[in-house]
Amino acid sequence: MLYSCKESLDTNNPNVVPTDSYFKTSSELVAGTNSIYAAWHGTSLVAREWFFLHDLRSDDVVSGGSQLEAPRNQILIGVVDPANPVMNAVWNTLYTVIHRANTVLDNAPEVKDNNAIRDRCVGEAKFLRAWAYFELVSMWGSVPLYSTAVKSADEYKPKSKAEDLYAFVIKDLQEAAAALPGKSGTDLGRATNAAANAMLGRVLMQKGDYAGAKTALLKIATSGPDGYALMDRFLDNFEEETEFCNESIFEMIFSDKGDNNFNWGSPSGDGPSAPQSTIRNQEYNPIGWRNLIPSNKMLNEFESTLAGAPKTDPRYAYSFYQTGDTFNKGASTLVDADQNGNASVVHGTTIKVGFRKFMLIYKQDRAFAAYHPGSNNQRILRYAEVLLMLAECENELGNTAAAVGYLNQIRSRPSVAMPLYPTAQFPVSSKADVVKAIMHEKTVEMISEQVRNIDILRWRAKGYFSSEPLSWYTAAKEFLPVPQSEIDNNPKL
Amino acid sequence: MRITFVQLALSIAIMGSAAAKSVRAQVLDQKITAVVREKPIREILNLLEEEARVNFVYSPALIKTDKKLSLVMKDEKLSVILDQLFGGSVRYELTGNTIVLNRITTAPQLAGTGILQDNPGDSRQIVVTGKVTDDSGLPLAGVNIGLKGSALVVRTNQEGGYRISIPDNAAVLVFRNVGFTSQEIAVGGRRVLDVTLMADNKALSEIVVVGYGTQKKSTLTGAITSVSSGTINALPVASVEQALQGRVAGLAVTNNGAPGTQPIVTIRGISSINFASDPLYVIDGFPTGNISSFDSRDIESVEVLKDASAAAIYGSRATNGVVLISTKKGARSGKLQINLDSYAGIQSPSKKLELLNTQQYVQYATMLLGASGLPPRLQPANFNQPVYAGAGQTYAQTNTDWQDEYFINNALITSNNLSLSGGNDVSRFYTSAGYFKQDGIAQGLGYDRYNYRINSDHKISKVFSFGENLYTSFGNQRYDATQGNRTQLTNVIRMQPYIPVYDPTKQGGFQGPISSFDGSDPTNPIESALIGFNTIKTIKVLGTAFLDVNFAPWLKFRSTFGIDYTNGYTQNYTPIYNDGGTLSATSASIANQRISSTTKLYTQQLTFDKTFDSHHLAATAVYEQQGVDFTTETASGNQSTNLVTTLNGASNVTANSLNQSNLLRSYIGRVNYDFKGKYMISGSIRRDGLSIWAPGHKSENFPSASVGWKIDREDFLVNSASVSELKLRAGYGLTGIPPGGLGNYPYLSPVNSNQSFYPIGNIAPGSGNASYTNGLTNPDLSWEKTKQLNIGLDLGLFKNQFTITAEVFKRKTDNLILTVPTAPSQGFQGVGTLANIGAMQNKGAELQLGYHKTSGEFKWDITGLISVIRNKVLRLNTANASIPSSNDADFGGGDVFTNTVVGRPVQSFYGWVAQGIFKNAAEIAASPSQPNAAPGDIKFADLSGPNGQPDGVIDSYDRTYIGSFLPKFTYSLNYSASYKNFDVSVFLQGVQGNKILNAERIILEGMPRLFNAGTRVLDAWTPANSNSDMPRAIAGDPNRNGRLSTRWIENGSFLRMKNLLIGYTVPESTLKTWLNGSISRLKFYVSSQNLFTVTKYKGYDPEVGNKNQNTSGGNLTNGVDFGQYPVARSFQFGIQAGF
Repeated sequence: MLYSCKESLDTNNPNVVPTDSYFKTSSELVAGTNSIYAAWHGTSLVAREWFFLHDLRSDDVVSGGSQLEAPRNQILIGVVDPANPVMNAVWNTLYTVIHRANTVLDNAPEVKDNNAIRDRCVGEAKFLRAWAYFELVSMWGSVPLYSTAVKSADEYKPKSKAEDLYAFVIKDLQEAAAALPGKSGTDLGRATNAAANAMLGRVLMQKGDYAGAKTALLKIATSGPDGYALMDRFLDNFEEETEFCNESIFEMIFSDKGDNNFNWGSPSGDGPSAPQSTIRNQEYNPIGWRNLIPSNKMLNEFESTLAGAPKTDPRYAYSFYQTGDTFNKGASTLVDADQNGNASVVHGTTIKVGFRKFMLIYKQDRAFAAYHPGSNNQRILRYAEVLLMLAECENELGNTAAAVGYLNQIRSRPSVAMPLYPTAQFPVSSKADVVKAIMHEKTVEMISEQVRNIDILRWRAKGYFSSEPLSWYTAAKEFLPVPQSEIDNNPKL
Repeated sequence: MRITFVQLALSIAIMGSAAAKSVRAQVLDQKITAVVREKPIREILNLLEEEARVNFVYSPALIKTDKKLSLVMKDEKLSVILDQLFGGSVRYELTGNTIVLNRITTAPQLAGTGILQDNPGDSRQIVVTGKVTDDSGLPLAGVNIGLKGSALVVRTNQEGGYRISIPDNAAVLVFRNVGFTSQEIAVGGRRVLDVTLMADNKALSEIVVVGYGTQKKSTLTGAITSVSSGTINALPVASVEQALQGRVAGLAVTNNGAPGTQPIVTIRGISSINFASDPLYVIDGFPTGNISSFDSRDIESVEVLKDASAAAIYGSRATNGVVLISTKKGARSGKLQINLDSYAGIQSPSKKLELLNTQQYVQYATMLLGASGLPPRLQPANFNQPVYAGAGQTYAQTNTDWQDEYFINNALITSNNLSLSGGNDVSRFYTSAGYFKQDGIAQGLGYDRYNYRINSDHKISKVFSFGENLYTSFGNQRYDATQGNRTQLTNVIRMQPYIPVYDPTKQGGFQGPISSFDGSDPTNPIESALIGFNTIKTIKVLGTAFLDVNFAPWLKFRSTFGIDYTNGYTQNYTPIYNDGGTLSATSASIANQRISSTTKLYTQQLTFDKTFDSHHLAATAVYEQQGVDFTTETASGNQSTNLVTTLNGASNVTANSLNQSNLLRSYIGRVNYDFKGKYMISGSIRRDGLSIWAPGHKSENFPSASVGWKIDREDFLVNSASVSELKLRAGYGLTGIPPGGLGNYPYLSPVNSNQSFYPIGNIAPGSGNASYTNGLTNPDLSWEKTKQLNIGLDLGLFKNQFTITAEVFKRKTDNLILTVPTAPSQGFQGVGTLANIGAMQNKGAELQLGYHKTSGEFKWDITGLISVIRNKVLRLNTANASIPSSNDADFGGGDVFTNTVVGRPVQSFYGWVAQGIFKNAAEIAASPSQPNAAPGDIKFADLSGPNGQPDGVIDSYDRTYIGSFLPKFTYSLNYSASYKNFDVSVFLQGVQGNKILNAERIILEGMPRLFNAGTRVLDAWTPANSNSDMPRAIAGDPNRNGRLSTRWIENGSFLRMKNLLIGYTVPESTLKTWLNGSISRLKFYVSSQNLFTVTKYKGYDPEVGNKNQNTSGGNLTNGVDFGQYPVARSFQFGIQAGF
């Protein structure tokens, strides 16, 4: 009955690694870096709430009908409560991205076993952190800036000015561009110098530095193993079989979890065996929930013979499915009864229209595709956007001809082959004309790719819109409110 | 002469088996050394009482003790000394440690019959025979039967029989037995006189189990409530906790889920924000966790230690109170006793809600969406389609009542326990086997359990004895694996009535909602419950062995070693299936998890207990060590066939294992002192060291002190005719809360190494393992410590016919562990860091009133309990800090359910105040700005704004505290009565003044999106129906009518007939003629639980537990009704038999 009572009260947790003895080797640093991507592709960001928040704050979408959940509808109608859970999810997880990036960057100087890997991790962390801060500054305007990982509970940061945030983001992206290899020198899916330069172009344009943006964008290689080019087939940018095609500069990777259930994985992408799927297909496909559908304004933006254009833009059919279209590799035809919710009015015709980009029904049947969370990678940066950005930079710098040249590259894509500018609808005889052409071209090329609300901010500031694109817009609502939980728990705010 | 009854006698008596047998135990063989000169026998007996730890009971009229004697005793047996004292003229019988002295009346036992009789040679020629039994019908041996007015005494034999001669019919017989109320019966003309002795409740409660020992109830100074075996097993309930429901003032039990789920038990309210309020359960000295696998029929007694002075002996685990469970022992009767206790019954749901049928659903959809917005599914072309290819029924003709499909009427419940016990002077044992089965009243739920126990103890020698308790059980629970708040009942409500349950053309055989037709995405609840299986199989083995060393009657040592092993194996299986709608799987998924825990307990205990003249001193010293090892193993994978339901040959197999451990090391000391049993003082201290804290914070002291004054023993009350008992007590102590929810390494925030994943290279799985940190380390973390003051009063009037116990208490916890929320911008998803900040207080009072009519043919007993508790949060991490609960987009659009702030009760409901319906645009224009409001929408109150003043805008600043789940008071009433062979018991339980957040009504009436709903939505406001209080039906809910508001807060008060039982005991005379009298006791009963409930609550069941009970902090969602499994109404038939 006697057993030793010398067991110690000092126990160690055999299941985990203490914080102070990890992130010491390059492989541990890579694992830390991977966790930044994991948070970015979780359901609070790219797999779900990120595309919702972008779209709900743009004029790309309208409610599909009765099924749009209240917090999403609130954003769509511009009544955003500080407790809005969709908004909070994005805020919280963008800062999780930042914390994880900071963890990598704090620890990297101590890693000595493989400098090349270490430097690549530093570049990736800076790219991913910069992207997160750019999302924050463009959605909330002024937010707290943390450049190192928080070590104790009382390390709070006040709001930083937008300029300071932009400066921080630009520096990160410049350093990332310098540190990162081209796509041939790294794994598929990792950030490259091209990704950093493309993002830098976006950021500098947003800040009004068109020359700087142009410089960065022109650093993106257009040939060789690290080069990018437009794909002949427009749809290659949105289908699973052509992930990481030559036009794709950066994408978030998803994999199929094999069922149609609602267990989508964690908000920050965590769990060693957690589902790695995106919910986009469930949310947006024409036979899914269809909570959001394309706005009539966007549908009618496309050049159409019905509206007097010489050719109907093929990108309309590449971007949307509507009643009568075939799907499932041509084996099925979409009918009204397939599509829940509201109809749209396209050039005077009432018809049900849904999104096509990234949707899986191009190859899946009704029963399978309706609720199937996708594994289709979300393209974040593609070369067409680089060309469109270059067009805008050149035009803003006064080089309208160069701008039109870039636009016409886009229109010349074999699967698009639209008449080149100038057209009857879009003359390009002045800078203002070219602005209109750029706005049109970017809208039809990039709809439903989560850039529209960023463009709106920039173009609105320059007074380019003839009428305000967002019905609810007031200057006070340009940016989202800081989440309630941040107000409650950050005394320095 | 002191008459006390030690635990042994107590346990025999309570067991209901032959109580208090006369046994010549080793007590009489104790060797005593003493020298007395010229002392009265009386004093010599006093001396022997001291030396031998025995009590003498005798009648001074019969035993002359004035005679002075001188004795030299050297290592002399007690029996020999007694013979010397009385020269063989006195017989002594031992009952426990009590020795009853009787003058020998030269009454030899009748050969063969074993019946004692008196001297046949005198003039008393009328012979009366009979049998004495206890109130459960078991024979009582050793009962003294005296002829009033004479010295004649006889005793019953082993079968309870007696025979006595009396002079005439006017004779009065006096029946006396230890632990029973004496009875005087006039013989009259009867020659056979069977007598039932009632247990003397006062005597029975004389000794109570306290932590690490026992104590006389009369000298208790803490708030301890004893519940006897009889009470525990009076009602056919499923668990020990339910048996305690309403029995102990201040102990609240809330049913919380399907069969096999442990109810929520709180003693004196909520003591912590972050941790569950479960008390510490101690079974036969072994602190253990979940007791749902325990068979309540094995229970001898339950003691509930409520206040700090009683519970502090359990130190760091005692704040939530301690429930001590003692299991049964055999009787030293030399006979085997067999008991069968069995019932079977049926359970049914007690309430259903009114949901839309198909025709009403279409009507509602038209209201919600407008006729032009009707989903395609509801348009005739689709609606008139057959429900599946080849079906003869269309969707329009289908009208599924999902409640009828989901709920199960007449679900089986049965409990069976067969026990065998017995013993003799050397050894005794109790062994039992039990089988319990409870089917759910809803699909896919159930629990069954097999259990076996053996308890035994053995006297090795005068000094050493040894004993062991062993319990083993196997439980199998079929549970609802639904994650989150979207319960099966939510799906039952939401599921469209035009969809059939089954569809033989679909793989799996069920039909789901087809989203592309309708956009509704409920889940077919029948399919969800039945398509796969979710089971937890639990094996528990709890064994202790102890060695007693009796150095002296006043100094004992006990060494105990025990192991508590639990192995819980969870299996989740989902086949390949596809309902064409929301549910499908292209491969079968298998997930298994095994959690085993092994707890080793080692206790060394030294007990001193001695009386010096008027001073009684008892002291206990304990060293104890309890270590737990946990192993968690999980494995999951997929099968491409439904023929294999294991991981054999599976794909995507992942496995994980975790090992954790903790160690609690304790030093305990306690001293009790009383003077003449009148003035009591007691003190204890426990020093606990627990491995889970950071170095330097592992050990803590938990002291307590208490005093008592037994006023009824004072001269001015001792002869009072009315006051039979009066005691005042007060205690103060410091206790801790078991930090169970923190895990075993809470202060360290480690790296989550390879706990995430990113499919780098487009490869999944197998690439891109990811590691991250998500939290902060706090080495200062330590126990939550609670100070508690308790003042109690026990009053008994008119020989304890009326009993009153009153307690008032105040508990304050100064260092609550709170998750200090991190600012989300710090990057931890707002996940907080744990710190000992915050304070909370509970003040309360408890009153227990009883009336006991114990004589006459019609006996009855009524007990009422009332308990009042007020909770208040005194401090959080900052003055304005708040701890919001979790939230859910389905239930109120993501608004938090509760908020915890300083100055209010913990987790108060939080939301807007609804002020009726806007009748017209003018009213909206005249009201504070409410974006998107239209006529027919709810008007909300403008209570505040960014500057703390109403600002004319309805926004998040206008949320306020709209109620608490904590009741104003709880009460219960137990009434039991017996008349001849019939008995009845009625048990009513009530909760008053609490609020329930009926979140399920948001599903029924919230109208956020198109789902099936309650029929109330048909009354939605329209210009033509402008007097309705139901807002307009509008898709998307632009005004957020469904937000968390007073609309969903309901009065949760209820009064429930928890139990009604009517029993019939077969008369002994009848039993004797059956089966050669082999059945000694037989009782049948019928009972009903939850027969009716008086409540205004609109949901399924006002007994709302906590859907998130198993998560740390419970997500602060107590009292939120998400459609939890409701309490069943049941009817049982039972049998209790003794052989």
